[in-house]
Amino acid sequence: MTGPHGPDEHLDDYAPGPPISPNDERLDGLVQFVVELAAGRLDRRMDPSPADDRVDAVTVGLNMLAEELQALNEDMEVRVAERTAQLEAAQHQLERVALYDPLTGLANRSLLGDRIRRAMGQAEHGAAAPAVLVLDLDSFKAVNDSFGHTVGDLLLVEVADRLRAIVADTDTVARLGGDEFALVVLDSGPERVLDIADRIIAALESPILAGGHSCWVGASIGVCFAIRGQAADTLLRDADTAMYEAKTRAPGTVQIYEPAMHSAALSRVRLAEDLRTAMAADQLQVHYQPIVELRTGRLAGVEALVRWNHPERGPLPPESFVAVAEATGLVGTLDRWVLDAAVAQLARWRAGVLGDTPFDLHVNISPMGFRSPRFADDVVACLARHGVPHGSVMLEITETQMMGEDAQTLQQMETLRSAGIGVAIDDFGTGCSSLTYVRRLFVDLIKIDRSLITGLDTDAHQRDVAAAILAVVDAFGLAAVAEGVETAAQAETLAELGCRYGQGYLWGRPVSADTMTGRLRQSVH
Amino acid sequence: MSFAVEPDGLIRLSWGRGVRITGELARTAMARVDEINGETGHPLLVSMAGTAELTREARMVFGRRCSATRIALVGRSAVDRVIANFALGVTHVPVPTRFFTSEPAAVVWLRKPG
Repeated sequence: MTGPHGPDEHLDDYAPGPPISPNDERLDGLVQFVVELAAGRLDRRMDPSPADDRVDAVTVGLNMLAEELQALNEDMEVRVAERTAQLEAAQHQLERVALYDPLTGLANRSLLGDRIRRAMGQAEHGAAAPAVLVLDLDSFKAVNDSFGHTVGDLLLVEVADRLRAIVADTDTVARLGGDEFALVVLDSGPERVLDIADRIIAALESPILAGGHSCWVGASIGVCFAIRGQAADTLLRDADTAMYEAKTRAPGTVQIYEPAMHSAALSRVRLAEDLRTAMAADQLQVHYQPIVELRTGRLAGVEALVRWNHPERGPLPPESFVAVAEATGLVGTLDRWVLDAAVAQLARWRAGVLGDTPFDLHVNISPMGFRSPRFADDVVACLARHGVPHGSVMLEITETQMMGEDAQTLQQMETLRSAGIGVAIDDFGTGCSSLTYVRRLFVDLIKIDRSLITGLDTDAHQRDVAAAILAVVDAFGLAAVAEGVETAAQAETLAELGCRYGQGYLWGRPVSADTMTGRLRQSVH
Repeated sequence: MSFAVEPDGLIRLSWGRGVRITGELARTAMARVDEINGETGHPLLVSMAGTAELTREARMVFGRRCSATRIALVGRSAVDRVIANFALGVTHVPVPTRFFTSEPAAVVWLRKPG
């Protein structure tokens, strides 16, 4: 029980003292004392008698044991309190991880769902039904691509702060992921809700300073006013649908959810499904529009354009299903499908009609396709599969979609160009950033947008603009294709200005592969 | 509490009968022992016969290292024995410490070399 210097080893000269009488009243006192200690009253003490005998020894011993136990108890209570506080802190930390966005400190999707459910519960007891706002930044990707993710993150934090400053403490601001945010506005009429939406638009109109860069990002907002009894999930879904509507119709605006939007969203989902099926069953067609060398009138190539004759809806405008493909992540598959079909056709033309005649096939590629890490390899593999030389394929990417300079796009462009596959900027003159690509020689060809060609033969100002663009293109040693050429006078003016190629109704609308085969035959022979 | 020092440096500390040794008293006593010993350590004989109480705080003080090289606790009664038991058993003692009912035996042990 004790260490090397313990008491028991040197108590052999201890004399026990006189016997204790069984009637000693102190024994009753001791019994009572022990009962009280056993009941947990460790603060009780018993005074020893002046006899200083063995009964008093027991009394003193019990006093000291009680004191020891009391101290241990108190110590234990302090430790339990400390551990409880630590556990509570850990619990709090876990809750933060589980319910809050670590970057911005805003509520996450899970907490937002809880808040919506709670608000719907309050609405059942007389409060006004809540409104949910979903907002998506309009140019966030460009910020990330141009300045990197660190700046992108700083921007999101600043956006979060601006959103917090606009709503009441009782409202909830959440980050749903990426550049998408949501707000739950409690117990408010439509006027206040729309005022909040307008103030958000205004707050995000001014530039945000992030990491030393001044970033301009607008927001598109969807608003859904709850109906009593509505499920939280559908409320958020409908606000999201309205946001999507805002983004596609007019970015930077507020759209209020209407049931028709949901049917439109459903219709998009169905269209995406149909598109998937159409690609798998080869129900899409590729049409070809001629590209002509202006100086000689020679048919220099064709642009491949996808067409879809939907089994129920009839012919669909490409922009409608391409937009659905982009929104549903199908666009990469669509690009590959068109590329494969067009390259296969080029191989047939080469074998049957064209032989070695110089002829370029232009294929449109979405920016998302360009950012896919395996994109360039897939293109090279496609050409190899059909035995088509690399030099006769030109990939077109739209200028307005080519925002920023993300490393992935640049790398893909470099891989393609070192493999001898051309890259063209489509709709040049409608965007603002692609001069960077031109300057750094990441492209081979510029396609001048039709808006710059219209009126070229009648409007002197338009002619000057086209001349300036062609001078820039020439300065970089690139060739240009003028799009949307409709009159011979336009073609003549373009030729005078040094534009090498033209494309437009003047030389023909997009036609089927069979029709184009006939035309090629005439052109070659 | 009174102190006496033998010619060979052995210190005698006597607690008066019925004294309640609190933490404060214990600290005063140990400071005095340290003061007497100075740089050199000497054995300490504590006469504790008739001590009424040794508080937990005081036991903690006695558990700290002091300048005494050995400590003998000398008492007579069963009460002394119990109190000594707590001083030695519940608290870890930093130097060799023993309880004696015979003062001469305690002195012999204290003066034993090593």
